[in-house]
Amino acid sequence: MDEMQFTPSPELSIGVELELQLVRAHDLDLGRDAEDLLARLAKRKLPGAVKPEITESMIELNSSVHTRYGALREELAVVRDAVVKEAGVLNLRISGGGAHPFHNWADRRVFPTERFRSVLERYGYLAKQFTVFGQHVHVGCPSGDDAVYLVHMLTRYVPHFIALSTASPFYQGEDTSFQSSRLNAVNAFPLAGHMPFVRDWAQFLEYFEKMRGFGIVAGMKDFYWDVRPKPEYGTVEIRVCDTPLTVARAALLAAYAQALAAYCLDERSRVPSGAIYMVNAFNRFEACRFGLRGELVDPFEDRKKRIGEDILDTIADVMPHAERLGSAAALGRLAADVRRDYSDADWLRARHAASGSLQDVVRESSDLWAAQD
Amino acid sequence: MDLSFLPRLPIALSQPVLFGALLAAGLLGGEILRRYVGLPRIIGYVLAGVALGPHVTGLLDADALGKARVLIDLSLGLIVFELGFRLDFAWLKRNRWLFVTAIAESAFCFLAILGALTYLGYPVLLAACAASIGTATSPAVVLLVAHELRAEGQITERMLLFTAVNSAFAYVSLTLLLPFLHLQHSLDWVAASLYPVYILAGSSLAGFAVCMLMLGLAGWLGKREDRQFVLLVALVVLTVGGARALNLSVGLALLTLGMLARNLDRKHVLLPLRFGYGGQLFFVILFVLTGASLQFGALASATLVVLAFVVARFLGKALAILLFGHLSGIRPGGAGLLSIALLPMAGLAVVMVNDTVALDPAFGAQIAPVVLAAIALLELLGPLATQFALRRAGEAHPEAPGV
Repeated sequence: MDEMQFTPSPELSIGVELELQLVRAHDLDLGRDAEDLLARLAKRKLPGAVKPEITESMIELNSSVHTRYGALREELAVVRDAVVKEAGVLNLRISGGGAHPFHNWADRRVFPTERFRSVLERYGYLAKQFTVFGQHVHVGCPSGDDAVYLVHMLTRYVPHFIALSTASPFYQGEDTSFQSSRLNAVNAFPLAGHMPFVRDWAQFLEYFEKMRGFGIVAGMKDFYWDVRPKPEYGTVEIRVCDTPLTVARAALLAAYAQALAAYCLDERSRVPSGAIYMVNAFNRFEACRFGLRGELVDPFEDRKKRIGEDILDTIADVMPHAERLGSAAALGRLAADVRRDYSDADWLRARHAASGSLQDVVRESSDLWAAQD
Repeated sequence: MDLSFLPRLPIALSQPVLFGALLAAGLLGGEILRRYVGLPRIIGYVLAGVALGPHVTGLLDADALGKARVLIDLSLGLIVFELGFRLDFAWLKRNRWLFVTAIAESAFCFLAILGALTYLGYPVLLAACAASIGTATSPAVVLLVAHELRAEGQITERMLLFTAVNSAFAYVSLTLLLPFLHLQHSLDWVAASLYPVYILAGSSLAGFAVCMLMLGLAGWLGKREDRQFVLLVALVVLTVGGARALNLSVGLALLTLGMLARNLDRKHVLLPLRFGYGGQLFFVILFVLTGASLQFGALASATLVVLAFVVARFLGKALAILLFGHLSGIRPGGAGLLSIALLPMAGLAVVMVNDTVALDPAFGAQIAPVVLAAIALLELLGPLATQFALRRAGEAHPEAPGV
């Protein structure tokens, strides 16, 4: 089947991918036991899938497709428990967070598959530096044209997803002063960034064919865009989130994406405009650097606003859709977190301030990941 | 003319001269073997020792080796401390089969050697002592090979864990057997039975006491790697000296200290241990001195017995790991490699043999040469075996140059 044929999926279905850190118990640095852990998990019947990622220090959880936030959250908790248990047998800890606070990228080893080896060959050290941990949220779309519309509209909200998930303040043993340092590792790739400003699916295909013709890409997976259409699944994929420190928060982010997509697709109150992409780089930087306390320029209203404030306004706008989708309480929780200025990045910094050791930060974040909520 | 300021001949060689000379010799030996023969450096350290030892040049005679005993104790102390520090009780608790495998690995190995030696006609008691010594894998070799290969992964972790467990098993079982040796010569059963109690309880208590001191001081010093490093070295050296002064087992005290420091550190005040370049010095010293103490005699005179010892030892370890390993989560094929990785015998075993000989001349006359020859063989082949196993397991770093 042609990869670029847009397979319609149940409207507003959601699914998440979570990249997780494998941490050695004895020194809390990253381990390299992905293969052993995956072999153990393969013997268990788990919903969704667990897959290798670019280096042996990571695994990726894929949820199955859901229409309701509650079911997604329950499933993630079940999978989390299973992964934590099997990891324990191998003396590994599992942690969320967008980056390991003190690992040395040069120690990383690329997972031995053809694809990952070719990534290493092409991108050199960038491939090993790509040992960062993100959450991707998929939202189902009825058609390619809807997907293109949704990509443009969600790009307006990219700073929200960054600010709500920031969890990588430390990198290579240092405080980066960023709330999310992870995206700086992504930015280095030549095909990072955003989808070009196309009007509809036909125009997108034209662009894609050109890029394929140039030999720049072989498929959609070669684009490392912040938000990209995934025709094969019939979804739009938001890729800017750091993996949060808990599955509960990962599920909240999915609920927000779903309600926001419902709002955009149902109300169509805005017409996509090139202005979205004019302000995008600035907004994105503010969100990475300052999180909820950063500022964004609203391309539709031509004014600056605190990101936290903009999120609260948006949650209010999408609430009717959340009620219909059964995630009103979830968005309420997310709003409460924004109001008290909570972020996982601040939590990590507070833990570091309390103990003075990044080892303790990893220990506590992996305890938090394993905790029942 | 008064020339009394000149040194008198022959020049008296002091401890620092010995220390420096051993280091330099080891370094050169290691580098020569690595560059021109392509063999692991460890073997070069050992061969440097052999060359200096009584069998070749005789530069290191029995007297010099006696003086160097403190260096051996210090090196072994630091090394078994580091090993003990990797023994994580929480892992054994989560993974019961791992605990079973570790115990079985020691027990089967002990029984296999005991069986082989008694079958070959050695007295049970002497065979049991030899089996105790044979159970231990060389902590120095496995730690150094893992470190130099930058090996990481399940086989490496288990190799270190099993080595910690079989070293503890060897210390404890040998200590429990010694009173029986003693009773062969005297009927003082009170002294004979108090002896192991004193050694076992005393050494663990010493380890426990220093551990508490270490945790207290580390908590007070805070999480600074530089300060904690000095603290660790200070307390380890102190424990080595203290254990010797009190006639306790240096190895057992330090192994206990390491294990307790890892497992009683509820507040996580200790940072992960990195001895770095400083630690390397002690590895080199230990291998050179062990090399000088090796005895190859029985390799020729009792070849069959030595081979039986080595083979039984390997089969005992392998049987346990093959039987239970997969239940503890070892990947298919990993059990065999782990058994190979655990082959090395070295300095720790030499010290145990020498201590046993000191207590019982019969052991020295009858069976020590066999054990020492087995050690000589495995000291030279062991590093190759461990390196092979970790490489084949895919756990050595692809860019690591080799041992």
